[in-house]
Amino acid sequence: MKFVLPAIGSVAAIALFAFSTSNQAAIAVERPSYDDTFEQLDLFADVLARVRNDYVEGVNDSELIEEAINGMLQSLDPHSSYLSPDSFKEFQVNTSGEYGGLGMEVTMEDGFVKVISPIDDTPAKRAGIKAGDFITEIEGKNLLGLSLSEAVDRMRGKPGEPITITVAREGEDDTLEFSLTREIIKRQIVRYEVKDGLAYIRISQFNEKAAEGLETAVNSLRSELGGKIPGIILDLRGNPGGRLDQSVKVSSAFLDGGEVVSTRGRRPNDIDSYNGERGELAKGVPLVVLIDGASASASEIVAGAVQDRERGIIMGMTSFGKGSVQSIIPLRGGRDGAIKLTTQRYYTPDGRSIQGTGIDPDIAVSAVPDDGEARSSRRESDLPNSIENENADEDTETEAVEVIIDYPPEGFEVEDDYQLQKAIELLKSGTYTQKLAELTQ
Amino acid sequence: MLGGALILSSVVTAAETDPEREDAFEKLELFAEVMALVKESYVEDITDKELVEGALNGALSSLDPHSAYTPPVEFKEQREAVKREYGGLGIEVTQESGLVKVNHALINGPAYGAGIRDGDYITAVDGVSVRDKDLDTAIKGMRGETGEPVTVTVLSANKAPRDIVVVRAQVQGRVVRERVEQGLGYVSIETFNNNNLTKDLESALQSLKSELGGTIPGLIIDLRGNRGGLLDQSVSVSSLFLDGGEVLSARGKAASDNQRYNAEPGELFPDMPIVVLVNSGSASAAEIVAGALQDRGRAVVLGRRTFGKGSVQSVIPLSRERGALRMTTQKYYTPSGKSIQGRGVIPDLLIAAVEDKGKLRKRFREDSLPNFLKNPNDDETDYEEKYEDVNFPPESWPDTRDYQLRKAVDVLKTSRYQSLLAAQDAAFKN
Repeated sequence: MKFVLPAIGSVAAIALFAFSTSNQAAIAVERPSYDDTFEQLDLFADVLARVRNDYVEGVNDSELIEEAINGMLQSLDPHSSYLSPDSFKEFQVNTSGEYGGLGMEVTMEDGFVKVISPIDDTPAKRAGIKAGDFITEIEGKNLLGLSLSEAVDRMRGKPGEPITITVAREGEDDTLEFSLTREIIKRQIVRYEVKDGLAYIRISQFNEKAAEGLETAVNSLRSELGGKIPGIILDLRGNPGGRLDQSVKVSSAFLDGGEVVSTRGRRPNDIDSYNGERGELAKGVPLVVLIDGASASASEIVAGAVQDRERGIIMGMTSFGKGSVQSIIPLRGGRDGAIKLTTQRYYTPDGRSIQGTGIDPDIAVSAVPDDGEARSSRRESDLPNSIENENADEDTETEAVEVIIDYPPEGFEVEDDYQLQKAIELLKSGTYTQKLAELTQ
Repeated sequence: MLGGALILSSVVTAAETDPEREDAFEKLELFAEVMALVKESYVEDITDKELVEGALNGALSSLDPHSAYTPPVEFKEQREAVKREYGGLGIEVTQESGLVKVNHALINGPAYGAGIRDGDYITAVDGVSVRDKDLDTAIKGMRGETGEPVTVTVLSANKAPRDIVVVRAQVQGRVVRERVEQGLGYVSIETFNNNNLTKDLESALQSLKSELGGTIPGLIIDLRGNRGGLLDQSVSVSSLFLDGGEVLSARGKAASDNQRYNAEPGELFPDMPIVVLVNSGSASAAEIVAGALQDRGRAVVLGRRTFGKGSVQSVIPLSRERGALRMTTQKYYTPSGKSIQGRGVIPDLLIAAVEDKGKLRKRFREDSLPNFLKNPNDDETDYEEKYEDVNFPPESWPDTRDYQLRKAVDVLKTSRYQSLLAAQDAAFKN
């Protein structure tokens, strides 16, 4: 297979050049019916020739083909894409180390730079930049036409340097302008503190330091609490996910071996099961995991494992529903960039797919008072062209079940964190054990 | 077979001598490799056809916001939709209290003929209730092929609901509205997507003329929010006010692709002063009219910089029913040779409808679109509107009143009109 296809590619390339010189003649020639791959590559070459001849401006063939590769991948689902050699390099730098910038995860959507999430305790977060914002301008200059890495480059600079960015936000008529000061972004992704005598741990992202950070957090909280932790609140709200191996390690810290998650590819035998290591970090300690509509991917793996393995209680709102795994596949050793391709789906230990549906909390608690919109925040299933859940029938059934959501009373300040208060209440009131037993019946 | 061999050898030569082509050749191989990789590893089954359609769309839409690939099924549907005559009932509707309300029944439309009048409510179409459906869904039910009957349940004041059978007919909505505005003529054109537009505009002008006692002392043509439409309508509308000469030219990459569009000799109202109202929502055909009348010194353009859609798309069907390309092949130029693309028409008088509060508010225009085609003339792309250059309504100005229209009236009623035309002329000569 592998050696056959590039050969077909060469044939198509020949067709491209042929058409560019004698367009009509080449089309008129009747060909015997070749296989579909050839036919399709032929069409592609034909179109390239026409664009080169008839487009209003001169085009660069190589760039056009790169855009085509990107278009092909983006047409698959919202998470597959092409990484040009430059953005692949950027990607490799990005997953490790520190940089001077604003502190937000960004992506490219419809040609716009979109904020996935501002990182805690960074200029972006402090200035009030929100997940879902579109960055339209930097220093008054339009970003349109720039690649993601070019846009990111413009946001970076010397620490202490001021920068103005313009943001378009859904529901706002006008663009918003933010003045920020660049900082060295330390990716402090695990924060922890004692709250009301309980261990509160927030993981804001699953990068390569997540599991390590969790261990440090549990150990220092244990000593702070005099050797015994009465309860843990693991806050995964707004956590967009990250590395699969880290989510397995984090889940594993609370489980004594056994399955955490399995991934399945297209072929029936393409199944990987990820198991926790034996031994628990906080054995027998009551655990509440907080999630919301922005908890995605790796966060959902942790929440799903804790829920299915009956290790703790999930509280908050239904998670994002990104249950697919992307692989980064370098092209020709990275010289030609790489592709980010959805290759597998996640399944919780009970065999549930998260894709499109997310993890429903055991106890639904809203952060904001009931305005009729609490459940309408943007999720995976709202993304254009998202992959559907395989167990579609089950979904419709679960949708029919009325979910009772605990809303904060009118006038409750968002800063007071109703969901966290409810988690503390559950752990302190002594009803945790009874509640967990009810849920696992 | 022989032909194939010949082509092959010529390609080898081309690839050896042209580094750019060699690069493209290699990229095309990469494309085939990626395609194989995706088919092999993607989480779901996927066909070559789907992959190539995604690729074509990626390549085409990377060119500019108006270029795209149309897959075979969609293209077939589009063609059939054009061939089939869609008919309607000849009514303008809105939604009110969950029902469809008839705002206006066109006198020459089939609904009017069947007894439906302004102010009636439609509660059901072919027995299907329209209650609480969105307006688009409700309208869809009323549309269909010309000559086909449709039963609508109508509720009129003081009458029991009744079923009325209406035979669908080709009806074009009114896109021209005229009225006398402080002793002047006022016409608004909603869209250029209407084959009867020029005819309707002409009769609107005639009725204004008689209403104003034989002469229209000044005319306001309102093109605000007009998203454009048919190119030939923009030429014939411009032609009403111009005595021959160029209206626009469309130019492609090669000089042989250039086309000129001229006005017909003879003018409807040669001495009538005209103000054209535009804003950032005036696009394409609307910009052609504003640009032509401005460049030819025939009208003062007032309002805000227009949208800036100055490109022409061609639909290029692919052989063997493989869909079509929608591709930008030309750019529009006004008679003085300025491109509208990405820049728009800049009014002679910059007047805003609402106060921007000390700082220009960004308007959505062509240059807000990702990857928009740049204006071929760099200096003009750099055009920047400044807050100080724009006349905003004073704080006390009520929201309900049209400040731009008021200013247009002022211009036409004072000597301002002549001085603006003179300034326009001077700028043109520069």
